[in-house]
Amino acid sequence: MKISFTLNNERFSIDVIEDMRLLDFLRDELGLTGTKEGCGEGECGACTVIIDGKAVNSCLVLLPEIDGSEVTTIEGLSKDGELDTIQKAFVDQGAVQCGFCTPGMIMSAKALLDKNDSPSDEEIMEAIEGNLCRCTGYYKIVQAIKAAAENLRNTNGK
Amino acid sequence: MSFDVQMPTSEEGLVSLLSKESSHILAGGTDLLVKIRLKRVIPKTIVSLRHLKGLDRIEDLGDKMRVGCRVTISELLNSEIISRHARILQMALRQIGSPQIRNRATLAGNIINASPAGDSIVAMVLSNASLSIGSANGERYERVVDFIRGPGVTTLSRGEFVKSITFEKTDVLFPQFHKVGQRNSMAISVASVGSLTSESEIRLAFGSVAPTVVVPIDACEYYSAEIDSFDEERFVELAMKCVTPIDDVRATAWYRTTVVRNLIHRTLKVWRKKGYNAV
Ligand SMILES: Cc1cc2nc3c(=O)[nH]c(=O)nc-3n(C[C@@H](O)[C@@H](O)[C@H](O)COP(=O)(O)OP(=O)(O)OC[C@H]3O[C@@H](n4cnc5c(N)ncnc54)[C@H](O)[C@@H]3O)c2cc1C
Ligand code: FES
Ligand code: FES
Repeated sequence: MKISFTLNNERFSIDVIEDMRLLDFLRDELGLTGTKEGCGEGECGACTVIIDGKAVNSCLVLLPEIDGSEVTTIEGLSKDGELDTIQKAFVDQGAVQCGFCTPGMIMSAKALLDKNDSPSDEEIMEAIEGNLCRCTGYYKIVQAIKAAAENLRNTNGK
Repeated sequence: MSFDVQMPTSEEGLVSLLSKESSHILAGGTDLLVKIRLKRVIPKTIVSLRHLKGLDRIEDLGDKMRVGCRVTISELLNSEIISRHARILQMALRQIGSPQIRNRATLAGNIINASPAGDSIVAMVLSNASLSIGSANGERYERVVDFIRGPGVTTLSRGEFVKSITFEKTDVLFPQFHKVGQRNSMAISVASVGSLTSESEIRLAFGSVAPTVVVPIDACEYYSAEIDSFDEERFVELAMKCVTPIDDVRATAWYRTTVVRNLIHRTLKVWRKKGYNAV
């Protein structure tokens, strides 16, 4: 089946294997291994990517379903070798331990902050409730997202 | 996995693909893809709704509302008319999964999955919802309570699909949705109790405590009949008649029974105080 989509700002128009999950396409066909597989059933959020502005589990998306969509993965965030604001905040705040949950966590944070750069603690917790972290206890992750929001507000001149 | 994927753009195209053996509709995929992975469903053809024209709106029909089968849970939660006229649905949908799940999952898919724990089903039963079901032979209508026959079992037959869901506006009734789960919002519930209440009427529905979402009709009738001599213990006793829980990985039957009993008492208490801060 031939489909067209945008991935990390690059246009694709290609023949794809129909019964493949988006997650496997990213990791195995394109070598974009930043997106992780934890549970494979929508429970852990390690596979989170953004499709048309919304955070989704790429383990629950069939590849043909992205036809006509705009997809962003963790690899699409840094520019010219420089980390983006959210990535930087995670590093600065020590919100990364083993790092397995981090790409998914950052994509959920990005989906939130792209719409709302002044989220409350509650809104932050809700945005990452589908992302499991076994290391950090979430506190530093929430701090990192708050710090990123503040940096975004500063650069947006608010 | 080995199947082909079709993306019809018209209802005619969709219906003709559904007549094929082992063809399954894909809406948000949050149930279907998990089932395929667990090999509980082995499809030959997946019919995606992604490029279907229409059936993607939330419509105000006066005293009712209609939701197309492609509308996601996130879209419903962001809808002005839903928050104004269907607060019970909003309360139930907030309890489903995570943002990632709600961004894909549809209301229609949640109903068709017919889980005893289906959160939207509780709200839809309380709102007297019915489905419009399309096929090559035209359209039929069925109430959600009649549509769901058992856990995962519905009256949908091959070649049929759910076009839309229609339900009553319930602005005048006081809504409550109580759910006890294991982990906040990801957990499929241990037990849930939804209700719509006024001075003269109560509508109640329970999730996860019987093979399907159930309505304790006797208790609801008792409430309306005995407004002056209402006895709470009697009411709860009548309501508990339809509670027939099982032991499973999430909870024991004893625990579920205790939870529902407490949630029914809480429902009455919150109604009397007209606010959740009463709890
Ligand atoms: C991690 C996780 C957490 C969850 N938490 C909850 C929860 O807390 N509460 C809860 O109630 N549910 C929960 N769910 C289940 C919930 O996501 C689904 O029930 C969802 O609403 C189904 O909608 P969908 O669009 O994804 O359906 P799909 O998976 O696409 O389809 C479900 C079924 O319905 C059929 N179907 C879909 N649309 C139609 C149609 N229009 N006509 C005919 N057949 C159709 C499909 O063929 C399939 O059999 C959870 C799921 C996951 C993975
Ligand atoms: S791998 Fe997709 S949610 Fe866990
Ligand atoms: S840092 Fe290890 S799982 Fe989150």
